[in-house]
Amino acid sequence: MSTATSETVDTQAEAAVEEEEKKQGTFARLWFQHYDLVILPMIVILLLLFLFLYVGTRDLDTIEVRVLAFDNVQGLLAQHLYLVLISTILVLVIAVPVGILLSRRSARRLQGPVLAIGGFGQALPPFGVLLLMAFAFSFGPTTAIVGLTLAALLPVLRNTVIGLQQVDQSLIEAARGMGMTSRATLFRVEVPLAVPVIVAGLRVALVLNVGTATLASYIGAGGLGELVQQALRLNRINVLLVAGGIIAALALLIDWLAGVAERIVVTRSG
Amino acid sequence: MSDTADQTVVVPESGAGRSDMIVLEGVEKIYPGSTQPAVSQLDLAIAQGDIVMLIGPSGCGKTTTLKMINRLIEPTAGRILLDGKDVTHVNGDQLRRQIGYVIQQGGLFPHFSIADNIGVVPKMLGWDKQRIKERADELLHLVGLEPSTFRDRYPRQLSGGQQQRIGVARALAADPPVMLMDEPFGAIDPITRDRLQDEFLEIQRTVGKTIAFVTHDLQEAVKLGDKIAVFATGRLEQYADPDTILTRPANDFVSDFVGGGAAVRRLSLVELAHLELHPIETDEKAADSRNGVAVAEVDGSGKPVSWRHLPGADAAGTPLVTVPISGSVYDAVDVMLDGSASLVAVVDDEGRAQGVLHWNDLVGGLRTRKGDA
Ligand SMILES: Nc1ncnc2c1ncn2[C@@H]1O[C@H](COP(=O)(O)OP(=O)(O)OP(=O)(O)O)[C@@H](O)[C@H]1O
Ligand SMILES: [Mg+2]
Repeated sequence: MSTATSETVDTQAEAAVEEEEKKQGTFARLWFQHYDLVILPMIVILLLLFLFLYVGTRDLDTIEVRVLAFDNVQGLLAQHLYLVLISTILVLVIAVPVGILLSRRSARRLQGPVLAIGGFGQALPPFGVLLLMAFAFSFGPTTAIVGLTLAALLPVLRNTVIGLQQVDQSLIEAARGMGMTSRATLFRVEVPLAVPVIVAGLRVALVLNVGTATLASYIGAGGLGELVQQALRLNRINVLLVAGGIIAALALLIDWLAGVAERIVVTRSG
Repeated sequence: MSDTADQTVVVPESGAGRSDMIVLEGVEKIYPGSTQPAVSQLDLAIAQGDIVMLIGPSGCGKTTTLKMINRLIEPTAGRILLDGKDVTHVNGDQLRRQIGYVIQQGGLFPHFSIADNIGVVPKMLGWDKQRIKERADELLHLVGLEPSTFRDRYPRQLSGGQQQRIGVARALAADPPVMLMDEPFGAIDPITRDRLQDEFLEIQRTVGKTIAFVTHDLQEAVKLGDKIAVFATGRLEQYADPDTILTRPANDFVSDFVGGGAAVRRLSLVELAHLELHPIETDEKAADSRNGVAVAEVDGSGKPVSWRHLPGADAAGTPLVTVPISGSVYDAVDVMLDGSASLVAVVDDEGRAQGVLHWNDLVGGLRTRKGDA
């Protein structure tokens, strides 16, 4: 009879889910789902190790030793991270609220124009923007940060708008239908469900900024670009190799970290 | 059309001694940018404790009507009364917290656990944590899901049918007197839907809510509804109990809509418990002495397993099929067709035989028991 059939179907489905849960311990399951995340750090470690060994076998002259001294490299790395971090935070603080505002019914008409402006900002070559801004305002880290922020706004802005757009309309209807105010619906349903997409946008912005920040040294804002410049100025190929290796390793690592964060967010919000 | 309009005007029933819980008076909705009203001049009264099924072709305004009751959609004209109070102008968010709402896809929040999903409205109403938790467990029990297994799960870990039960539980959370349901079982496979409908009726027997229920399935409307409201584009064509809709459609539209299968559909309205059944005997000694009575072999627990003697038929060649007495004649017919049997044993909850229904009874006229309507 019909009742019996549907019961078996349901219990089978339940049993399958539970069995799956039991079979895999927490650790085993985490490893199984995320083992791919281990690959990149290993590549980075190999890259740095190779670089270290290579430089160790060279006879470095005094200039090279001075430029490659731990203090010098560490200082420039710190400057670089500072530029990236501050500009990314600014992107987050500006683009997410603007994206949320743009997704409101009353402001939807503005979406097109604002996204177009964002696209314009991204399309401009960052090097040119940095130089022009430096001449127009001042040389130094502040201008660099503003330039970096402008160049990376779009991915986050766009992803915020898209992330909110793709939230299942029936969930919003359910929320309103149960008496949630539109504000509560936004912050308890729409934004949490858009977070994975927003974080993906932030990851793009972050990686973009790590690269663009190497140009900041040209307007006196320091960073790892400085190491490249010193190597070119002094014509020291070993220094250039190290500079390139560190920049590549940093970009990869930051992308990896952002990827891990993204994975955590996605797992959380299902 | 205008001559049929008079028949569809709803006169609130006061005879049953129940007051009307939901009343729509001259309600109309014209969407912005549209000239045709989606719902026009609708009068509808739903008595307390009734399930009213809103049915009609796609786009006829069922959802619009439902959403005007909880003011997700603001009516262009008319009044809506809940329990005698005009709610046309009260705060919509506050109003909706007093009305249960279930939609087709369940609408469960994927980032909330099952318990948190059920607790949404109680939380907004300011209940304390302990009370919300207890309520969630109570409701999980009510909808037949084990609280310890399900309360901490997430919606994606549930089957469609289970999700829909949570949807119902969530709507019941703050014990609202009124529930609005928009095709809650529409996206569920037929077998599970049938079971959910049975469970839903069971739950309704204990909670006694006033329910407006949108469906596009006439079978569902007949099975669940105390009354059915048949809509054509924007207007109510007939509002009556299922039997009346099936046997006396108010106009051509309704009779077209009900279609040819009305006689078969009516079978699901007749409950086996209300029928005068043929006697059945399971006592071995009685077997020889009573010639006109069907005699069944029973197993150790008293459940009939095969026929020992059938008056005027070959007992050995007839399979013994059973149907629970809580079912309808429709279920009995289903079982008989399925088992190629010309009669069916009606059994109680423990599986013990209560009587026999013959195929011939269907055409010969079903006799209801004295005292039943
Ligand atoms: N937000 C809206 N804006 C404009 N027109 C709408 C809107 N919502 C519904 N309509 C129109 O109103 C009419 C009734 O729609 P409604 O959703 O109430 O139909 P329904 O009876 O629920 O149909 P279905 O069975 O397909 O769910 C339709 O013609 C529809 O196109
Ligand atoms: Mg609808």
